[in-house]
Amino acid sequence: MIRERIDDELGQLVRGGQAADLIVGDRPFVLYREVPTSGAARGLPATVDVVVPVPDGHPAGMIDMAGLPIDSPLIGRVKGQARDVVVVDGRQFRMISYHPHGNAGGPPYDPNRHGFHTYYDWLLTWLANLT
Amino acid sequence: MARQPHITSRGDERVAWRAGAPEQPALLELLWRRYPYDEWATFIRCGWRQLPDGLLLTLAALEAQGPGDLDESQGHVVLQEPYVLRAALNAERHNLAVGVVHSHPQGYAPRPSALDDDMDTYLASYFESFAPGRPYVSLIFADGPHGIDASGRVYWNGGWHSVTRVLLERQPVCTWISGRRPAKLPPSPTTKRLTSAFGEVADERLRRASVGVIGLGGTGSAAVEVLARAGVGRLVLADPDVFEPSNNERIHGSGGRHVAAPESKAAIARDHVRFINPACQVAAYVGRLPQPAVLDTLADVDVLLGCTDLQHSRLALADTARRYLIPALDCGATLEGDDGDVTAQVGQITRFLAADACPYCRGMIHPQRLSQELMSPDERARRQDAAERAVARGERPNPYWNAEPQINTVGYHTTIMGAMTAGYAIGWITGRFDPPFTRLQMNLIAPYLDVTDQTVEHEPPKADCHCRQGRGQADQGLRFAQITSPGHWPREIRLDIAT
Repeated sequence: MIRERIDDELGQLVRGGQAADLIVGDRPFVLYREVPTSGAARGLPATVDVVVPVPDGHPAGMIDMAGLPIDSPLIGRVKGQARDVVVVDGRQFRMISYHPHGNAGGPPYDPNRHGFHTYYDWLLTWLANLT
Repeated sequence: MARQPHITSRGDERVAWRAGAPEQPALLELLWRRYPYDEWATFIRCGWRQLPDGLLLTLAALEAQGPGDLDESQGHVVLQEPYVLRAALNAERHNLAVGVVHSHPQGYAPRPSALDDDMDTYLASYFESFAPGRPYVSLIFADGPHGIDASGRVYWNGGWHSVTRVLLERQPVCTWISGRRPAKLPPSPTTKRLTSAFGEVADERLRRASVGVIGLGGTGSAAVEVLARAGVGRLVLADPDVFEPSNNERIHGSGGRHVAAPESKAAIARDHVRFINPACQVAAYVGRLPQPAVLDTLADVDVLLGCTDLQHSRLALADTARRYLIPALDCGATLEGDDGDVTAQVGQITRFLAADACPYCRGMIHPQRLSQELMSPDERARRQDAAERAVARGERPNPYWNAEPQINTVGYHTTIMGAMTAGYAIGWITGRFDPPFTRLQMNLIAPYLDVTDQTVEHEPPKADCHCRQGRGQADQGLRFAQITSPGHWPREIRLDIAT
């Protein structure tokens, strides 16, 4: 993991108004705080915290998946199969199979163009398309 | 009065300085610009990496100079104050090591003069105020009758250290240590034919050379065999795997006893080198690039060979070539078949120099396959399970897992490709020849071998690729690295640490 690179990418988001932190534990994650959703009109949360794992071999490993707080009503409303539970920053998150760069609509992952700052756009898309 | 910098280096210390294109030709052009009689100089910026037993410095940039920055009226180097101050002020804005390189007149020894001692004593102290904690390096180059001679010293951590190896890309250098030319080696009886073909100087260069080989399967073991027999003085070997009986068809140095009691591929290669050439020093790792201890040991190799068919290994090789300026050649071999027929026997050799396009620019990386290679065993199992469940639901499995292709190879093919690659490494080390391509592909069973070769013009780095940044910046260019070691990889193990 290249902390300096991730800090640069998250700094870009922060300057644009989106808070995000690198949480380094047994396994590092990026925690995007209060990401907007389209849920308000349906009585669902208007924002939600999202975690994304820092891939093994970063930046070569593809940024992939996303996790929502384990009690979030958005689970089951967002695209993707629910998977295992992870603990990030002392909180439990349910990982969900969301693969924007893995043959699921997005461009092939290229670390020269993509990072945690561009992945944010895919999270917005994901959280805007609730069922 | 000249004050001789007091060199404190231990005998077993490695201090390497490396350069690569495009800075290297620009540097040499500057150094020789007043040849044959007069000297010239330039300030430089270098990436660096602290080694357990020394230091690696890599030329990242020349400090731009203009008219009047050096005194043209003098035959020796006189750096004018504005140039010195500019280099120092720039050092406050970057995180690289600083230094100066100057030439001695053609045919002269690259031995520091009393004036050089004065200059280095002054500059080391001066730059310490602007670049505290960073090394100051001073190098002397001279074009001699047998090629380039060079010497250097580094002020770092409060003491002076001799540069033990000066390494240029594709250009042999004779490194003088502490102002002394290395003693001539007696001719070797085991490499007499090679010497008669390439000359005594080439033989000596090979015996002083060091080559890294990453991957010790079919291609890597063949490369190691060729290099050991050619008399290469030191080999750094790395492979994470343990020998399996099916490897016996391809791996040079393996045999019945390994089938009966498998060892690591690194141990087999080490033992085979010692059998061929007991004088060859071997550093063998159960490990891989870019693991830190492997990288540390590779710091002063002349050439690095990549002999795996893994995407992450190829990417790490190219990244090492770019940031640490270690010239690299990657090779691979694969058989293609259809219904029992062998339809192609493809071999590939790819050059990775500091300024060459990276594997991404060359379209050599499949992002998902690369990610899968880097995943932990648990994550791979989870993904494969998710893919199976997706298929059961009637969905596509590939968002979760892409089937990994089986690379089919046979011993004669891997031996050809490994030996060819080692041959090109010998060409670089001896300065006798150079692969005329950046990437070569050939098919052993196609008419005229269906050879296609790429050059820099065919495969330029892409304008927006990170591979255009961080060149020669070593550890200071980490933010431009394209790969890091996953935390789940077993720690690299050096064999024979007791010896």
